Amino acid sequence: MKKFGRLLLMAMFMLALVSTSSFAGNESITIALGSEPTTLDPQLREDGGERAVNDNIYDTILTRTPKGELIPLLAAAMPTLVNPTTWEVKLRSGIKFHNGETMNADAVVYSIKRVIDPDYNSEQISFFSTIKDASKVDELTLNILTKGSDPILPSRLYWMKVVSPNHSKDPKFFEKPIGTGPYQMVNWKRGQSIELKRNENYWGTAPQIKTVNYRFIEEPGTRLAGLMAGESDLITNLLPEFTKQVPKSVHILGLEHPIIILNADSGVTKDVRVRQALNYAVDKEALAKGLFEGFAQVAQGQLLSPSFFGYNDQVKAYPYDLAKAKKLIKEAGAEGATVELVGTSGRWLKDRDIVEAVAAYWKKAGINAKVRIFEFSEYLNRLFDRKTRADGIFVTSSNELLDADKSFSAYYKAGGIGSSNTDEKLAGLIDQARSEIDVEKRTDLYHQAVKQAHDQAYFVWLLNIEDVYGLSKRLDWAGRVDARLLVQEMKVR
Amino acid sequence: MGRFILRRLIHGLIVIMGVTIIVFVVTRMVGDPVKVMLPLESTLEQRAAFEKKLGFDRPIYIQFVDFMGDIARLDFGDSLWQHRPAMEIVFEKLPMTILLTVVGIGLACIIAIPMGIIAALRPGGIVDRITVFGSLLGLSVPQFWLGLLFIVLLAVQFRILPTSGSATPSHLIMPALTMALPTLARLVMLVRSSMIDELNQQYVKTSFAKGLPFIRVVGVHALRNAGLPVMTLVGWEVIRALAGYSVIVETVFAWPGIGLTAIQAIEREDLILVQAIVFTAAISVVLINIAMDFIYKLIDPRLKLT
Repeated sequence: MKKFGRLLLMAMFMLALVSTSSFAGNESITIALGSEPTTLDPQLREDGGERAVNDNIYDTILTRTPKGELIPLLAAAMPTLVNPTTWEVKLRSGIKFHNGETMNADAVVYSIKRVIDPDYNSEQISFFSTIKDASKVDELTLNILTKGSDPILPSRLYWMKVVSPNHSKDPKFFEKPIGTGPYQMVNWKRGQSIELKRNENYWGTAPQIKTVNYRFIEEPGTRLAGLMAGESDLITNLLPEFTKQVPKSVHILGLEHPIIILNADSGVTKDVRVRQALNYAVDKEALAKGLFEGFAQVAQGQLLSPSFFGYNDQVKAYPYDLAKAKKLIKEAGAEGATVELVGTSGRWLKDRDIVEAVAAYWKKAGINAKVRIFEFSEYLNRLFDRKTRADGIFVTSSNELLDADKSFSAYYKAGGIGSSNTDEKLAGLIDQARSEIDVEKRTDLYHQAVKQAHDQAYFVWLLNIEDVYGLSKRLDWAGRVDARLLVQEMKVR
Repeated sequence: MGRFILRRLIHGLIVIMGVTIIVFVVTRMVGDPVKVMLPLESTLEQRAAFEKKLGFDRPIYIQFVDFMGDIARLDFGDSLWQHRPAMEIVFEKLPMTILLTVVGIGLACIIAIPMGIIAALRPGGIVDRITVFGSLLGLSVPQFWLGLLFIVLLAVQFRILPTSGSATPSHLIMPALTMALPTLARLVMLVRSSMIDELNQQYVKTSFAKGLPFIRVVGVHALRNAGLPVMTLVGWEVIRALAGYSVIVETVFAWPGIGLTAIQAIEREDLILVQAIVFTAAISVVLINIAMDFIYKLIDPRLKLT
């Protein structure tokens, strides 16, 4: 027995020697993702793993700075309006795909037509639903036609990855991506890893890091262990409580907003005083500290981050004021009333904890909150139920377009997929803003909408969650507001 | 013999059909893949279009007829989540789970059988007490915790093994050990008690009295008779692992096996892939059961295969 034990130990050491001999060189990094891409076709799925890899292989027409400002990428300049429904895009010249094909107006028009084709059935269609068609003007110029005027088109173009017209018809395209980006595909071992190498002919600034390995680890504890064992250099979605254990962590205000949608049409929450009271009753600072270890900020009374288009910096969060909450509830005659608060568990970071904490705060203010946690699919039935709205529905909204339209159409506007109010004025503002081309006028419309919803307290705005990453000592990276993992912005020491 | 196989196959077929039909009905009752797959803020029109495209807007009986055809052709269609044939995914992941199961349970057998025998030779002795204590410990430790403990100790502290993944043979060590331990604990107890029973039988005493060598009496005669319940347990452990219990080990070690895939498919409401996995699991259970019957027959030729 003893002998066997010793043998086993020896065998382990020998294997360990073999496995550490492949230790990464200086210009190679490993990134651990929570999920494996289902495809590497950049236009088909709405899939975090795919996005994390393809953001480095493909260029988009426009991009954003790490802080969120829209700037041209494949475009030579920002798109311009020819008439209310036509945008003109001029492209940079001399850009080639990894296989040597030229990136030109044909490729861009092809990519746009490909993603909006109903037969292609892209899951990304919600980003591009306003685009009607695209046409080539000359070698480096194209027009994009929209259904009605669409001021958000530039934000949409930041999602438009450009594929090669010839290569994308290859039946193996989904595993052999060819883009114009700073990195190109080496191999994909299903279930294990994806390897990329630097595109030495990249048209833009040459990245420092030479090769990137992606690994897929769903279990957060295992991801963390991989970072601490020196196997990976970057892990995503680090739990706030682990930030002290990792070699280095980076946090940046992200796109996620947990909120509670209040039913403004029926029940006790029909009274605006009750809705305001439910806002006053919650100590958001304490939620940020207690649940997120400070890696979240109090949402300023709107479903928008400061980096989003439409953010109104005049509107502030309802302060924590228990006395005021009690007074308002008393005035409304709602003392001891029961409200149903619907949530789910395990879908978003701390979703259940937030709902339970909020319910406890409401109870203190004299509202009896009945928490109902559903399995995600059943929860979605409640969220999308247009006929009977629960008094309060928890949801975490994420807005990748960084523009008020998406969040507001879904949750603020009467009849939106998750909205619980019938405020015609608010809906009118959102509709107007949707087709207002003038940037200033559009900004003003959103500012009004933000204020209207805030004053009417249609929601309990809670937090704006920060994205937290764990980094190895040698990796330098500051993070991005849009949560993209662009390796060209990373450096190893 | 031929009739036996035929009968078992027919039974197996009924089981498989039953399981797949239940899965078909249940998944369609509780889930709606369209809701889960599209971004939360997608409009109702986008959802309706997507549902139509996937064919989930058709009446359930028509979907069912289609589904029966799929089973007959062993083609469940494309996974909703991965956009490639569901069976292709199953065939890619299943070998990984089989590898893990065979090594893990094999390891458990190699250790548990001699350990159980040694413990049984002197019930109440020091070796026996250590074995019983150890196996109780092994049974009470939750598997995911054990896995994480291995990772923290062997991969993070001492850095002698990789934390997770499946690229090299060294990646297999920790998952296999984690897989083996609870099985080892259960098995050692069973070998021990079966052997204690057998060693008290008259024939054992007679054999010793005849002067047969110790090894032969214990290792051949007694072990063979103690083997039936042990085989039953081993078979059960294999079935459990292949039918999805491996999910804990696979999740902790990011081992790309069928259990992990099953959980991911369920989370994403990928009905097609769930069906394919359950169907495959049902087939493996039936096949292993038939194999077990043959092994019983090998161990104890007196048994009649009926």
